[in-house]
Amino acid sequence: MSLNDAKTTDIYRTMIRIRTFENAVRRLTKEGRIPARFGLYTGQEAVAAGVSAHLRKGDKIGSTHRALGHLIAKGCDLDKLMAELMGKETGFNHGKAGPYHTFDPSVGALGANGIVGGSVPMTAGYALANQLEGERNVAVSYFGEGGSNQGGVQETLNLAACWQLPIVFVCENSSPEVQRMLGHEIDYPQLSIDNVSKRAKNYGMPGSTHTGWDAAEVYKAAGKAIRRARAGKGPTLLEFKVHQLEGNLEGRLEANEKERQWDPIDLLKQKIPRKVDEQIRAEEVAKVQKAIDFGVKSPEPTPEQAYTCVFKEAD
Amino acid sequence: MPAREITFGQALNEAHIAEMERDPKVIVFGENVSSQWREATKGLKERFGRERVRDAPITETAFIGAGVGAAIAGYRPVVELMLVDFGLVAMDQILNQFAKTTYMSGGAISVPMTLRVLTGAGTSSGATHSESLHGLFAHMPGLKVVVPSNPYDAKGLLIASIRDPNPKIFMEHRLLYPVKGQVPKEPYEVPLGVANLVREGKDVTVIATSLMVQEAMNAADELKGKISVEVIDPRTLVPLDEEAIVGSVKKTGRLVVVDEDYLHYGFSGEVVALAAEKALKSLEAPPIRVATPNIPLPFNAKLERELLPSKEKIVAAIKQAAS
Repeated sequence: MSLNDAKTTDIYRTMIRIRTFENAVRRLTKEGRIPARFGLYTGQEAVAAGVSAHLRKGDKIGSTHRALGHLIAKGCDLDKLMAELMGKETGFNHGKAGPYHTFDPSVGALGANGIVGGSVPMTAGYALANQLEGERNVAVSYFGEGGSNQGGVQETLNLAACWQLPIVFVCENSSPEVQRMLGHEIDYPQLSIDNVSKRAKNYGMPGSTHTGWDAAEVYKAAGKAIRRARAGKGPTLLEFKVHQLEGNLEGRLEANEKERQWDPIDLLKQKIPRKVDEQIRAEEVAKVQKAIDFGVKSPEPTPEQAYTCVFKEAD
Repeated sequence: MPAREITFGQALNEAHIAEMERDPKVIVFGENVSSQWREATKGLKERFGRERVRDAPITETAFIGAGVGAAIAGYRPVVELMLVDFGLVAMDQILNQFAKTTYMSGGAISVPMTLRVLTGAGTSSGATHSESLHGLFAHMPGLKVVVPSNPYDAKGLLIASIRDPNPKIFMEHRLLYPVKGQVPKEPYEVPLGVANLVREGKDVTVIATSLMVQEAMNAADELKGKISVEVIDPRTLVPLDEEAIVGSVKKTGRLVVVDEDYLHYGFSGEVVALAAEKALKSLEAPPIRVATPNIPLPFNAKLERELLPSKEKIVAAIKQAAS
């Protein structure tokens, strides 16, 4: 299934929303209004947007500690998301989660995760629940090439194949040329192979590697895997090569043509009429500004709230 | 409720059947759970089908994590871990994800999974097949820790655990499996957080859990007529029935804690601290802990017995506390 114009515009809008939101997060972190620095998704927007274009509300995702793109693409409310990043009472998780543990069950966004690869076994559980429900909902498990080596991820690939779970594993490989860890060069490689997707065969599932900054390619590959999962034919491992782009692209990228070619927004923009682009940007800027205002105006949790929610009361 | 005599293992099996019949969201998985040699889950696959009762590969991280995920997504998984020592390979899923998600999500998420775990020494199985480790799990915030000591409690506590909306680790000493006791046929709950006064006494309080409850009772029997021993089984370490423990210590003024888990930084120390904080003025003698020293459990049966709490050690401790 290739992209039609309407889908292209939807995906582009999602990518702009993520980029705009994260640029605001960068600024707010610098200003001290978001209390901690954390990993952002700039350069990877096509993956979350292209995958989520196939997802519906009953589908569930498990994410990473670089989660904002996944959460926004799955439909998380921007106000509550921004408030959570500011640690406010009105956030999704009342300021207890922050960027690493955000949960929004109302849209099936079942968790950013602070442990590399930590959400992957749980996401198999979401897929298991979907399989038992019989509604043909699927789960998408996001992780990076670093996370792909974790024992839990390898174990879950095997489990998902043994149980034929309706799950798509999405590995965002952010070291497409030289292997890096946490953005730094490494002396020994962390992957013994060039493509993570090669491991799929060993676990008895299809796997393929794609250009992650090309939204059309992401959309196509994800569509095939998600349709397969929905049809009850089991898991797929998709790998998308991406470049994590640092800094506010609006300013910096103009000086760096090499990086610019990896910018998924720049690439897709060519298919968007200029007026539509301007309108989308203006609308998304307004939404993000509303989220910032909401977050800034929201109260902090009270000290008493530190003690709540360790356990739930019986139903 | 009319009761009849069945084993601890059969009581667990009945609890599974009762809850799976009552609630279609209860699912079971783990290593070999479809096999007839796993007593607690015996016959479940035949009765409830292979969708709800599944064998998992020997990958504790994956299947415990999948249980956590299924629980988050609205199911009530009962996941079996063959031995607690094997859970150590899955500590991220147990201690980070299972235990903390409710809090981290600000209550947006419930994780109503029951992780059933076999525990315990006394079978000459060596240092990675013999531990108790309830203190380790009780230390971490977010887990309810259940330690049944007899067939009646096993059934009632497991039913209560499955119905509870929180993460539970349900720890079954494997030497308890053949132990018989009176158990009602009907489903019933033994509430989490309520201790059992196993034996009333006035001279010395003995707090014991799991298999050690029986050892404590054997010791109390031996001292019958000489020292009046009160034996309390907390039944759950989290939540802990502090009132029952403190009340008893205030009554007797003397405390012995018996724990098969390691001595240091554990349950036995927790109970002594509780007595010091809330019943210090009632204490007439220093509290005594009978627990396994912090030494990996050896294979040789004599060496293993040397380290574990025993009736003889408990008798000596009670005598010392009473003197």
